[in-house]
Amino acid sequence: MIPKPRLLIGLDFVTAFLFVVAVVMVFFYAPLEAVMGQVQRVFYFHVSTAWVGMLGFLVAAIAGIVYLTKGEEKWDIVGVAAIEISLVFFFVAIISGSIWARPIWNTWWTWDPRLTTAAIVELIYAAYMMLRQGIEDPDRRARFGAVYAILGFLSVPLTFISIRLLRTIHPVVVGGGNPTAAGGFDMSSKMLQTFFFSLFAFSVLFIDLLWHRIRLGTLAHKVEQLRMKDID
Amino acid sequence: MSDNLRDSYQVTNPRPLTNFFHAVWAVVWKDISAELRSRELISAMFVFSLLVILIFNFALELDARARENVTAGVIWVTFAFAGTLGLNRSMSMEKDRGCLDGLLLAPVDRSAIYFGKAIGNLIFMFLVEIIVLPIYTVLYNVNLFVPGLIITIILGSLGYVAVGTLLSTMAIQARTRDILLPILLFPLVIPVLLAAVKASSGFLQGVSYDEISPWLNILIVYDVIFTAIAYMVFDYVVEE
Amino acid sequence: MLFFIYLQQAPAETTKYMIAGYAVIFMIIFLYLVSMYIRFRNMKRAYKMFMDLDTDTE
Repeated sequence: MIPKPRLLIGLDFVTAFLFVVAVVMVFFYAPLEAVMGQVQRVFYFHVSTAWVGMLGFLVAAIAGIVYLTKGEEKWDIVGVAAIEISLVFFFVAIISGSIWARPIWNTWWTWDPRLTTAAIVELIYAAYMMLRQGIEDPDRRARFGAVYAILGFLSVPLTFISIRLLRTIHPVVVGGGNPTAAGGFDMSSKMLQTFFFSLFAFSVLFIDLLWHRIRLGTLAHKVEQLRMKDID
Repeated sequence: MSDNLRDSYQVTNPRPLTNFFHAVWAVVWKDISAELRSRELISAMFVFSLLVILIFNFALELDARARENVTAGVIWVTFAFAGTLGLNRSMSMEKDRGCLDGLLLAPVDRSAIYFGKAIGNLIFMFLVEIIVLPIYTVLYNVNLFVPGLIITIILGSLGYVAVGTLLSTMAIQARTRDILLPILLFPLVIPVLLAAVKASSGFLQGVSYDEISPWLNILIVYDVIFTAIAYMVFDYVVEE
Repeated sequence: MLFFIYLQQAPAETTKYMIAGYAVIFMIIFLYLVSMYIRFRNMKRAYKMFMDLDTDTE
């Protein structure tokens, strides 16, 4: 058992600090938005969580490519760690966006390109998790996971383009499909500062969580090996 | 002696490209001849397609006006479901009878197996489509024999099978193999299904080509990208 | 026109949704942290158990 590295402990504190500062900025520093009122504050963490989500899926696709070329287990652990964190954060982004949309668009959900793509992305990576659960052999599980992470990541832009094409040809039915049209706003400089600070804080949070999750994955891998050895 | 030498020379150093096509063809032919003997895959896919169309008839109240709008959707959902059935069956047959291991032992490029299986699946899918289209035409009095629609169906089936063959190879090696394929496949083929439905309904309603061409472009781009990726990663999916 | 002036003077009253939104965000992230902590603890326990088992047999 490797003891917790000192750098990680430091990163934990930095992350907690940044997160608290981000929360304070969102609630007390950022001004009240003139049209939407308080609910606009959801926007800062909504975009940040979505950003962490996409970042994790990118990391997983890259880890997948590296795993397939090098075949080292650690890259599989990185891939699954990134996808797990991203699934959670992307879910948060979808739910918080939905709560924001209720008073602004007057509906919890519209079949807008971004929303629909987000839902499909979430389903792709849920399928990734189910695929992994269905395979016992660690080596095969890692290979299949890497392949599916790459395929999933590549399909996302095509899905987005095709749904966007569908919605621009189709009339928009409920609440304005385009978020910049209904519920868009100009950000004042304080809002911009809060926004970028939230993005930064969440990026650091992502790195911190990823590190922890990789450590957990490594430990789980060791336990699995010990279990195999004991069975033999 | 010299004959022997020449033979062994030809075995160890064959013309690679012809050899590749021979191998692909051998896999395709193996699937076709097995199917000619049992006919279980095509008949299952066909009956299943008919059932899906019938269920849609009750579920959607397919009157004359509704048909105009939903025909493209109905036929693509039917193809997608029947396709999953075929893909799953064609691969699990290999696995159950140990054919996959045999294929992998054969001294050919692994991607030849992928292309062989994919072409086989594509042929079965085309066969089902060729049977289902006239039946749909007769049952619902909608003319489906529009050249553009045929092209759309070819492009859509290509993309569907390119990804489907790869994923079914993965799915059958998992513990949860019976339920896994649709869960893995459907979220990835949404661009294909969406573009195919839109292009099909465009052709059926006689929309101008300018409005349809973006959908066809998406289909072509998807087909090219995913066939290439599947070709590149297939090795990792069958490695033992 | 009047409508817009009204909007500029009084932002929409959406505090409830803001609270709900942040409650969900914090809750899910917190639950994830808890789940990670629990899994870590269980893994450590399992690791220790296997290590003890190993030293016993040797």
